[in-house]
Amino acid sequence: MGGPCRLRLEVTTRGAADTAIAAAVSEVRRLELKYSRYLADSLTSAINRSAGTGTPVSIDAETAGLLDYANTAWRESGGLFDLTSGVLRRAWDFKSARAPEQRDIESLLPLVGWEQVQWERDSVYLPRRGMELDFGGCVKEYAADSAAAQLRRHGVSAALVDLAGDMAATAAPSGAPGWPVGIRHPVSREQAVARVLLPEGGLASSGDYERCLVIDGTRYGHILHPRTGWPVRGLVAVSVLARQCLVAGSAATIAMLKPPGEALEWLANLGVPWLAIDADLAMHGTLAPVNAPAR
Amino acid sequence: MARPKDDRNASLLALTSSALLLPAYQCAQADAPPEFTELGMRYSKYDEDDILARKAFGGGSERYEIDVAQFHLLAPVADQWSVALDVAWEDMSGASPWFVGESASGSPKVIMSGASIEDTRTEVSGTTRYYYDRGNAGINYTYSDEDDYTSHAVAVDGAFNSEDGLTTYSAAVSTSHDNIDPTQGSIPTNTLNARKDINSVWMGVTRIVSKRALLRFGLSYTYRDGFLTDPYKGDDRRPDERKEWAASTGYRHFFEAPNAALHVDYRYFNDDWDVESHTVDVAWEQNLPQNFRVTPFIRYYTQQEAEFFYNIEEPGYEHFSDDYRLSAFGAFSYGLRLRHDFGNWSVNFDAERYKTDESWGIYSGEESPGLVDFWRYGFGLDYIFR
Repeated sequence: MGGPCRLRLEVTTRGAADTAIAAAVSEVRRLELKYSRYLADSLTSAINRSAGTGTPVSIDAETAGLLDYANTAWRESGGLFDLTSGVLRRAWDFKSARAPEQRDIESLLPLVGWEQVQWERDSVYLPRRGMELDFGGCVKEYAADSAAAQLRRHGVSAALVDLAGDMAATAAPSGAPGWPVGIRHPVSREQAVARVLLPEGGLASSGDYERCLVIDGTRYGHILHPRTGWPVRGLVAVSVLARQCLVAGSAATIAMLKPPGEALEWLANLGVPWLAIDADLAMHGTLAPVNAPAR
Repeated sequence: MARPKDDRNASLLALTSSALLLPAYQCAQADAPPEFTELGMRYSKYDEDDILARKAFGGGSERYEIDVAQFHLLAPVADQWSVALDVAWEDMSGASPWFVGESASGSPKVIMSGASIEDTRTEVSGTTRYYYDRGNAGINYTYSDEDDYTSHAVAVDGAFNSEDGLTTYSAAVSTSHDNIDPTQGSIPTNTLNARKDINSVWMGVTRIVSKRALLRFGLSYTYRDGFLTDPYKGDDRRPDERKEWAASTGYRHFFEAPNAALHVDYRYFNDDWDVESHTVDVAWEQNLPQNFRVTPFIRYYTQQEAEFFYNIEEPGYEHFSDDYRLSAFGAFSYGLRLRHDFGNWSVNFDAERYKTDESWGIYSGEESPGLVDFWRYGFGLDYIFR
């Protein structure tokens, strides 16, 4: 799941905890094996391999549900949230401080476009060879929620699932209003810019200052715009709290893809707790500590 | 404390409703077998109030009481099956109305059977259920035995979920073959041995109407055939056939802020004996900290009398009954259910008061002197092997 994961739970007996933990861990593993684009035998790899071959790939109800969800996020973001945009990473090398040739980017752009994806309840098909679906933009968050649901089903009264910063809580631990969680500082990663108490629901963050690219003195984030193929020059980091970690994650991603002013307004209208850090490391949002710049 | 607010924004609402269709958020996994074996035990008591002196010949008297002990076991078998075993023991004692006579003042009064009834009933019921992708199907056999009555019943039911998982269609059929063999005691019985068959079909639809609300509808038809007369009531002569229809609907709404659910249910019943009834149930299921749940509830019931119900028998009628259960009346019951979960254990307690009166009903009719008020209370303990 691309980072350290941890479970915190409150249980009455050790035996109950073991079964619950095993169920949660295997749920996360199940989703990783199913949707990882790095694993050759994952469903995602099968879908991507069949792109342009004329043969759709069979999918189950869960995958159809994720595609439906991705479609909603695509529509609500005005086309910014796009599971097909991952292919643009082929042109960008974030380790070097160099922009790719514009023609390399342009050659990839026809492969991006959610509207091209053909999917039914039981199958999905990418019509162009080289097109790719990347569930990375939603599966980690979904896995946090799903692992939390497993813990709940196994009778764990209160639990916090943390998948590399994407969190889902089932209920607050007894005697406390919520699980204390920190939102990482975008620059000094070990430091928290804000602390929140998460009673139940999800907290997801997007943004990584370290992985940015500076070209001709301009800072670019690592999130690529699906239409230009260039990194967006938006906010540096966004964290959102919502009932589901999945929804929190998409809201944070959509905010990262929007121009900063528009993103802040969109987040403010969402009606959920949020925190955004702009390129000047100024903090915005309902979770922003008062008088405490991230610098 | 940072608590996510209600989903009011249109984008958030769209994302949330789309997310909730995913399997991880379908907390009611109706179509997976239970993951663990569950064991439950329960004791309950049904206790009728004494009949008032002014309503019975020979002064006030004790009525019926029933002690019930129940045992329940539900276990998963393989990946897609479950089996359940339910056993109940009932111990019944007391007196019940024998017949209604006219007092010197002209008002009808009940003659009680005397505290002579003493019976025990044992019921054993086994169910196996198969779970498939979008539904489940079960078959149940129930055998019930008491001194004067045996019953064998078989029921088959199935449920099917729509593709979006928001609608569930269910149906059931059942058949029961009963043998009545009244014990011969101090009062004469209406038969020495008789049979009756009960066949019924039921179908229902449940729809998740929003993230927090659920609506259901059901329709049922029951056909009873055979000896439907009460063997112990004086001069009871009922038709040997009864066709019953019932329609029901229910609404559940979960309220986030109080962490509670409102249940409202309504049932309409009609049969060819001219009995018609309405039932309204309202319950408030309140979740409390530390895994406590308290549910106050209230129920209103009203029925129209059967076409052959009279307190005092008129000679010449083919059918006759003075059974208060076939008279016109209205009834209120109210009570409380308490539940507490801790670890793998769950304890529950409930109490219900039922009071009835002819004047509370919406149908007019002769008031039966036999109408009953009762208390019911129970205590149960459940354990999950996980």
